[in-house]
Amino acid sequence: MKVLIIEDEQALNASIVTYLQQGSYTCDSALNFREARQKVMNQPYDCVLVDLTLPDGNGLDIVRLLKANDPETGIIIISAKDALDDKVAGLELGADDYLTKPFHLSELNARLKSVLRRRNFNGQKVLQAGSLEVYPESAEAMVDGQKLTLTKKEYDLLLYFISNKNRVLTKESIAEHLWGDHIEGLDSLDFVYTHIKNLRRKLVEAGGEDPIQTVYGMGYKFSS
Amino acid sequence: MRILTKTSLYYLLVSVIVFLLGGLSFYKIMQVEIYDEVDDQLFTDKENILEYIRQNNELPSVTSGISEAILVKEVTVASPTLEALSDTLIFSAYDEEFLPFRKLTFTTYQDGKPYQYTILKSLMDFDDLSESTMLAMGWIFLLLLFGLVTVNYIINRFAWANFYDTLAKVKGYSLSRFQPLHLRSSNTREFQELNEVLLAMTDKIHGDYLNLKEFTENASHEIQTPLAIVSSKLELFMQSENLTPQQATMLEEMYSSVNRLGRLNKSLILLTRIENREFSEREQLPLHELLKEQLEQLHEIMEMHDLELLPPKLEAVYLTMNRGLAEVLVSNLLLNAIRHNQPAGTIEVRLSQEQLCISNTGSALEGTPEELFRRFMSSKDQAGSLGIGLALVSKICTVYRLQPSYTYTDGLHRLCIKFQKNRA
Repeated sequence: MKVLIIEDEQALNASIVTYLQQGSYTCDSALNFREARQKVMNQPYDCVLVDLTLPDGNGLDIVRLLKANDPETGIIIISAKDALDDKVAGLELGADDYLTKPFHLSELNARLKSVLRRRNFNGQKVLQAGSLEVYPESAEAMVDGQKLTLTKKEYDLLLYFISNKNRVLTKESIAEHLWGDHIEGLDSLDFVYTHIKNLRRKLVEAGGEDPIQTVYGMGYKFSS
Repeated sequence: MRILTKTSLYYLLVSVIVFLLGGLSFYKIMQVEIYDEVDDQLFTDKENILEYIRQNNELPSVTSGISEAILVKEVTVASPTLEALSDTLIFSAYDEEFLPFRKLTFTTYQDGKPYQYTILKSLMDFDDLSESTMLAMGWIFLLLLFGLVTVNYIINRFAWANFYDTLAKVKGYSLSRFQPLHLRSSNTREFQELNEVLLAMTDKIHGDYLNLKEFTENASHEIQTPLAIVSSKLELFMQSENLTPQQATMLEEMYSSVNRLGRLNKSLILLTRIENREFSEREQLPLHELLKEQLEQLHEIMEMHDLELLPPKLEAVYLTMNRGLAEVLVSNLLLNAIRHNQPAGTIEVRLSQEQLCISNTGSALEGTPEELFRRFMSSKDQAGSLGIGLALVSKICTVYRLQPSYTYTDGLHRLCIKFQKNRA
């Protein structure tokens, strides 16, 4: 899996690369428009993360370029502009997803995986973690071949965990992943706890091990 | 009260006092003069009578008329009145009223016999005089009043015209859609000075406003990137092994604060962009469908808060709005109803052709309803809330000329958005 990260902030670029490299990605980074253009032209990528505001150009031009030359490539826009219209423009051009800064790396990772899955690059129709199998196409999960009855949110949560295997996920990022941006002041962290408790119970009842560890003070970690 | 009305009133007040005092003193002076004159005449008559008696040794023939009467009476008792001057009233059969007279009584002797003379002179003239004085004063006063109104009208029309023009323009002045003030130049020095000062002031304020706005915008945008860096580094840091519980707690606290800052900043950027009217794209928006979608999305959150959503009554309403802003509007209203609710409370949504009303149970507001729509006005027990949601609602309402209103009755908060001409 080759991913290109186009982001002019060196530090942020490095963070993304570090986080993604812990997965099974080969990461390439570009710090400006010229470099990005060159890299995109030279070799195919499975997915490109592109910042819209680059010092020497507009990220949307990269999106156009990719759409014209390499329509198979997944595109995720990352931007400091929280723009309802930029978002629309980006998605209309054919970007697969849009994230505004600041974002959770775990969220970015989950979105990246989802884009890659949807584009079906390696034909991976099932995500496996021990005895647990998740089928994103049908939104189903099985333990030892036995189907789990999960609510929509529990399934989303499980998928989010599997996408970020062996990483610490903060309660905030989980809450935002499940309920979106506008959940402040809604006791969402308590609800995260409730959902995780239910998910654990269902996994254990189905005969699996409890793969969700509580990481003291920080959040949760899905280990396989 | 207009300044001209005010000055006129003062002027009138002083005029009334001057006219009253003037009329009174005029009356008094005339009275003294007339008494003097009448008394003089009485004494002249007396001298004439005495002279006549002395020369002819007989009593003069006595005349009597309207304005004058001389009465003679033989006095038996020798208690001679030398001279007595007084006022008296005599009933006039013709006028059927008492008329004022001035009376001089004196005693004279003819052939050693005392005779009492009474000379009467009418004061009617004097009464007439005071009447006509009053009448004249009244007329002059009326003329003055008329003159005042005319002068005021002319002053208002011409001299103050520039002032009122300036006032109207300053009233309509808005910082956010800056058009320089075009003030009519005036040949009245004060007004010209006022205009110059106003122009200089608005230019300065507008300059400051632009600077501040630019700063805020840049700051908000520039803050996003460092925030993203801090947030990402913290998240990476959290992945490291062997963190002590204390370190882990600190990291998580930092992370959550940075996230909060990021969300706050995003909302502020959105607020600024709405203020700048950057969302020009509009469409015919089915508000009822938008509400349905949002209610579905928030269904779980309501359930988790143990809130009951009463069956929504949604008429089909189409508004011409930006879709993104409409979503922000609706979701913030609904989230507000969830956030400020009580356990086992209710939420009711009603959409009619005139308005959208969202009611929810909850304890009474601490501040005034006006404060509700200001930014950072979140109540104490809502520590996690940014207090910016309703500020966004109010901004969006301003952009689309919708009227938000808030009432609280019987433990029920009720936020309504009235639609105006915007209706499709």
